[in-house]
Amino acid sequence: MRSNDMLVVKRTFASYYADADFRIPGLEQREFGIGNLKKIEARHLNFANASEFRRYLCNNTPMFVSHSTAYYDFPGATPIQKKQWKGADLVFDLDIHAEGKYGAYAKLEAVKEEVMRLVDDFIINDFGVKKEDIAVVFSGNRGYHVHVRDKAFLGLGGDERRELVDYIMGQGLDYLGFFPAPGKGPQKLLGPRPDEGGYRGRMARGVIRLLEENPAALSRKYADAKEREFFISGIKEGNWSRTFLKFDELKRRIKVVADTLPIHSVNTDVGVTQDLSKLIRVPNSIHGETGLIAKIMEDVTAFDPWKDAALENQTANQNKTKNTDKTKNQNKNPGELGRANGSDGGGVGGGDASGTGSGGVGGSASGSVVGEMKVKFIEDVPELVLGADTVGPFRKDEMKELPQRFALLFVCKDSAVFA
Amino acid sequence: MYKITNGEYQNMEEGLDFAVKYPFSESAKKHIQGMAADERIVELAVERIKKAMKGESSARMLLHDSEKREEIASFAAARMILGHLHNSFLTSHFAVNESKRARSYLDREDEAVVDGVAGRFGITTRDNGETLVVDLPTYLTYSLRNPDYRLINRRLKQGMVEITPSQKRRLVEEAVRQHVEDIPLVKDPPDIIKQAGKQLLAELPKSEVRITVKPGDHPPCVMKMLESARKHENLPHHARWYLATYLNAIGMGEEDIVKVYSGLPDFSEKVTRYQVSHVRKKGYSVPSCATVMTYGLCCAVCGIGHPLNWHTLGEERKRVIRR
Repeated sequence: MRSNDMLVVKRTFASYYADADFRIPGLEQREFGIGNLKKIEARHLNFANASEFRRYLCNNTPMFVSHSTAYYDFPGATPIQKKQWKGADLVFDLDIHAEGKYGAYAKLEAVKEEVMRLVDDFIINDFGVKKEDIAVVFSGNRGYHVHVRDKAFLGLGGDERRELVDYIMGQGLDYLGFFPAPGKGPQKLLGPRPDEGGYRGRMARGVIRLLEENPAALSRKYADAKEREFFISGIKEGNWSRTFLKFDELKRRIKVVADTLPIHSVNTDVGVTQDLSKLIRVPNSIHGETGLIAKIMEDVTAFDPWKDAALENQTANQNKTKNTDKTKNQNKNPGELGRANGSDGGGVGGGDASGTGSGGVGGSASGSVVGEMKVKFIEDVPELVLGADTVGPFRKDEMKELPQRFALLFVCKDSAVFA
Repeated sequence: MYKITNGEYQNMEEGLDFAVKYPFSESAKKHIQGMAADERIVELAVERIKKAMKGESSARMLLHDSEKREEIASFAAARMILGHLHNSFLTSHFAVNESKRARSYLDREDEAVVDGVAGRFGITTRDNGETLVVDLPTYLTYSLRNPDYRLINRRLKQGMVEITPSQKRRLVEEAVRQHVEDIPLVKDPPDIIKQAGKQLLAELPKSEVRITVKPGDHPPCVMKMLESARKHENLPHHARWYLATYLNAIGMGEEDIVKVYSGLPDFSEKVTRYQVSHVRKKGYSVPSCATVMTYGLCCAVCGIGHPLNWHTLGEERKRVIRR
C-alpha cells in the first residue's frame, strides 16, 4: 500500500475508533499487539483501561490490533515468563481456505452454519458453557472466531485444549464403538439414542434426519413410510434392530452420517486454540487487510459482513449502542478475571475521542472519507459476489468510483490505489 | 461422615490412619502441626525419596501413633528436601510413586472416602442415577492422554463426562501426582534438610545417557516425548510405544532405546527391555499421523501424513513447522 493511501485508510479507521463499541473483558490484564505491514510488529503492549486503549488507537491507528487470549498479572512484562499467566479464553478459529485472493469471501456464508453448530451443539450442549460466556466474532477477513470465557475453562493447559479441538474435529471418532457386539440370545443391535449427549446422540439424530429427508441414501426400501417409521421408532429407544438390513451392512452404510458430525472447518488452525499466549484480533477492531470490522455478531444467521461489518454503516449503529456502552461493559462480565470491566471512565464520550483523534494520523475525524471513493486498479480483479452486491470485473489501470467498503477492500488488498 | 461443600470436604473426623494414607491432605497437616524435622524424620524422608527413585512401594507396619505421625512428617520433610533441591528427576519420581501409593489405598476404600480425597482436588462426582459424572474441565485436567480416555469416545452432556468408579480413582491418582509434583521452592532450609539433599544428589544415577538431538532432527511430537523423557516427566503408555517404534525405525539399537526411557519416573530396566525387544522382534511399524492423533500425541501441523516422512522435508520447511 502506498504511504499516502495508508494515511487515508488510517484516517477512516481513526474516526471509527473514536467511538467504537469495544467489549473486552479483563482488558487491563491482556497483552496487546499491533502491526501495519504485518499483523503483529510490536507486542507486549498493555492498557490500564478502555479509554487509554481508545486513545492509543485514535492517535497511532495501527492497521491491525490484537489482544492475548490470556490474562496476565503483568501483561506488559517481557520475556513472557514474567507476565505471570493467570488463564486464557478458549478460542476456536474457523478459517476458510480457498483459491485466489478473493476466493474465501464467497464461502463466508456457508461456514456460518458450522459456526452455529459449533456454538449450539458443541460448546453449549456438550461442553455446558452458558450462552452469555460466548462471543462469536467475524474475523474481519476470511473466517470467524469463537471466544469462550467460561471461568471453569480459563485454566486449561494446551494439551487439554487440544483434546477439545480434537473432539470438535471428530479426531479419533469410533462410531462403530457405539454399537456393542450383540451377546447371546435373540440378535438385537443396541445403539445410541437421539436424546443422548455428545456424538452418540448426534449420531442417532443424524441417522433419523437422513431417514426422514433422504431415505434412499441408506436404502431404497426406506422410501416406504412404514419401514422407515418402524426403524426410527426403534432408534428412539436405542434399539437399532428394527431393520431388514444386516447389522454389519447397516453400520457400514451409516458411515455417511458419521462423516458429517464433526466440525471440519476448525481443522485448519488448531494452533489458535492450543497456544496459551496467542494474540487474536480484537473484537470490533478493524482488519487492515480488508477494511472490515471484526464485528461481534449478535445474530449469526442474519450477519452480512458487507453490511454489518462495513465502516460506512457504523455511525448509525454506534449511536444506538453508545448510550448503553457503559452498562454493557459492566454486565457482560464473563470470566471473573475481568475485574476492571466497565472501567471505561468517561472515555466513551464523543468529545474526548474526537479530541484525541486529531493527534497522530493527521487531521480530525471529520477528515475521514465517506460515501463513494475513487480508485485506480493496479491489477485485474475478477467479478466478485460480495454479499448482496456483484462487483467487477476490473481491469488493471481502470478508474472507478466505488462505495467506501469496496474501495477500502481493494486498496487494503493491494489491488487498487486511491485516485 | 464426609460432607462435600463446594469441592472442599470437612475433615474433622479423619483420623491418623487416613492421614498416613493420604499425607497430602489438609487433615494430615493438622496431625503434624508443631513437629520439627528431626534426624529420625529426615532419615525416613530420604528413605521415602530413595524408594521412589527405585519405584518401590513404601508400606511399613506402623503400630504406635508416634510412628504414624513420623510417617506423615516424613512426607512433609521429603517435600522440603525436594523443594530445596529442585531436581526434576527426583521430584517426578517422588510424585509418581506417591500417587501410586495413594491409589493402592484408594482401591480398597469405599466411595465416601474416595470422594473425600477427590474433593481435595476439586474432583466432585455426581451420581446420575446409574452413572457417575464429573465436570469437563476437571476431567480434561486429570484424565490420561490415551484412547480409552479420549473425550470423543465418552458420553458427554451439558459439560458432564461419564466415568466409572475405577476411573474416578485414576483421576484422583493423576491429581495427586500433579499436586505432589508442584513443590514450591524452599530457600535456605534448615541444615539437616540441606545435608539430606546432598546425600540424595550423590545417589542420583551417574550416567544420564541421552541421545543427542538437534532441533529439527525429529517431528515435533517425537521431540516433545524425548524432551519429556529427558526431563524425567511421565509418558503415557501409547507415547512410550510410539516412541519405541519410531526409534527402532530410524535404526537406533536396543541398548540406546532402553536408555532413552531410563529417565522416566517409573523406569524399570527389566520391563522396558522386554517391551523394547518385543517391539523390535514383532517389527511393529510406526503409526501414521492419523493414529498418533487418535492417541492425543500430535502437537503440530506438519501435514506429513506419517512421522517418518519428516526426514524427507527440507530444512526450511522443518523450521517453519517448528515455529
